[in-house]
Amino acid sequence: MSLVVSYIPLVVLALLALGFAPLAWWMSRFLRPKKPTAWKQMTYECGSEPIGEANVQFRFQYYSFGIIFLIFDQIATFFLIWAVAFGAFSNSAILWGLVFMMLLFVGVAYALKREETIWI
Amino acid sequence: MGYDSILNWVTFDNPVNNAFYPFEVYNVPYDIGAKLWELIGGTLAWLINLLVPGNGVSTWLVSDAVVNALAIILMVIVIFAVGFIINLTMIWQERKVLGRGMDRRGTKIGPLGYFQCVGDGLKTFMKENVVPKDVDKKIYWWALALVIGTGVLAACMIPLSDRWFIMDFHAGILTIYALFALAPFFILGASWAQNNKYSMMAGFRAAELMISYEIPMLLLMTAVILQTGSFNINGIVNAQSEMWFMIPQFLGFITFFICAVAESERAPFDLAEAESELVEGWQTEYAGMKWGLIMLGDYFRGYICCGLIVLLYMGGWLLPGIGGTAVPELVFLAKIFVVFFFFILARLAIPRVRIDQILNAGWKVLMPLSLINLLLVVLMQTGGLI
Repeated sequence: MSLVVSYIPLVVLALLALGFAPLAWWMSRFLRPKKPTAWKQMTYECGSEPIGEANVQFRFQYYSFGIIFLIFDQIATFFLIWAVAFGAFSNSAILWGLVFMMLLFVGVAYALKREETIWI
Repeated sequence: MGYDSILNWVTFDNPVNNAFYPFEVYNVPYDIGAKLWELIGGTLAWLINLLVPGNGVSTWLVSDAVVNALAIILMVIVIFAVGFIINLTMIWQERKVLGRGMDRRGTKIGPLGYFQCVGDGLKTFMKENVVPKDVDKKIYWWALALVIGTGVLAACMIPLSDRWFIMDFHAGILTIYALFALAPFFILGASWAQNNKYSMMAGFRAAELMISYEIPMLLLMTAVILQTGSFNINGIVNAQSEMWFMIPQFLGFITFFICAVAESERAPFDLAEAESELVEGWQTEYAGMKWGLIMLGDYFRGYICCGLIVLLYMGGWLLPGIGGTAVPELVFLAKIFVVFFFFILARLAIPRVRIDQILNAGWKVLMPLSLINLLLVVLMQTGGLI
């Protein structure tokens, strides 16, 4: 049994799962009414008329966390691979892994301590 | 083949004997699919053979290749249908428990109110399709289809037992988690495309929520994988046949539970929905059937969260001391419903957190806790305790 053959059920499942939402939505067109009006097509803002565009430059306040996250997500993925090979490691390999981890977390702790001044 | 009885066409062979059998071990959904096609295709072959004796189509319909192809399609439909029914049961469970918690009855239609969710689903089919004229059409539709699609796909990829699976990956848990973690990206896209101020705020909240819980969750998974040395779900479950990982890693279990509630975007971490602050959050401009599908997708994501907790910390389909039972699928589902009950209790009891609270909790509480858990596991593993 080849690797390609074992993936066939997954491919069929992916087609069904990804096609499920468009298909269900498409099927509902035979049942639902269609009476569009200008009021219905207006952007909803709790009853008041919308002022201006919503696609503006948005100031999201967790900027500093975003930068730390960007680096750390990759490091966490690296540690997943480190963990799966853990059983074959020598003591020094474990030690160096932990030292690397500790260095990174000291960095995060420092960044979070300074976070009040980076918070914009 | 000359006709003498229908048993020429409906034989109920052992599916493992099929020349194109795509698995290495016995698989229940494939067996169900193969037997269903034996019935349907066998009856068709019999009827065609009655009309036109001695034709090739009848033999082709029940040949190994056709049976395998149709068995795979029917198997996928069976797996999806079972996931769908689990999902409906979870919605029913949530509405019943929430109702009792608020001192009311919950759902009432059908036996024990089970059919109310089905009725609600049918109702959304008949709702008008309202699309505001200012939306970015392409992203509006594609983000919706993908946020539901990836959720459904990851949910169907969770094996119910070692004989009920779609594929036995070597990187199973990673693949499921990767598909699962894609959702905030699509939510951000959907919220931007709606051109609605509330939706946009909600989309940025979804991204912010992901920034807070993702790294603790990955570190906790690291600790589990360190203990098993495998990404394979079967490997992780079999490593827990003696002792559930929630006993040596109790700290990790509690932290993972909190992260999982956040990942499924349920109260108290439903910042991106927040119906009392942001109307309906990123779902504001999705009306009718689209909203119904989003709700369904939410529960599929809740099911994945419960599934991950059960697989990583609660021994999957094995029972401690007993090991495998006659119906491991039911053991797995029972555990999932128990975990989901605690999800509902959290929703019932705890008010929604603020965005800065979840950020600080994620980075300054959950991450140190997950790190301590990882160090404890490293110490226990090198010390030979587990």
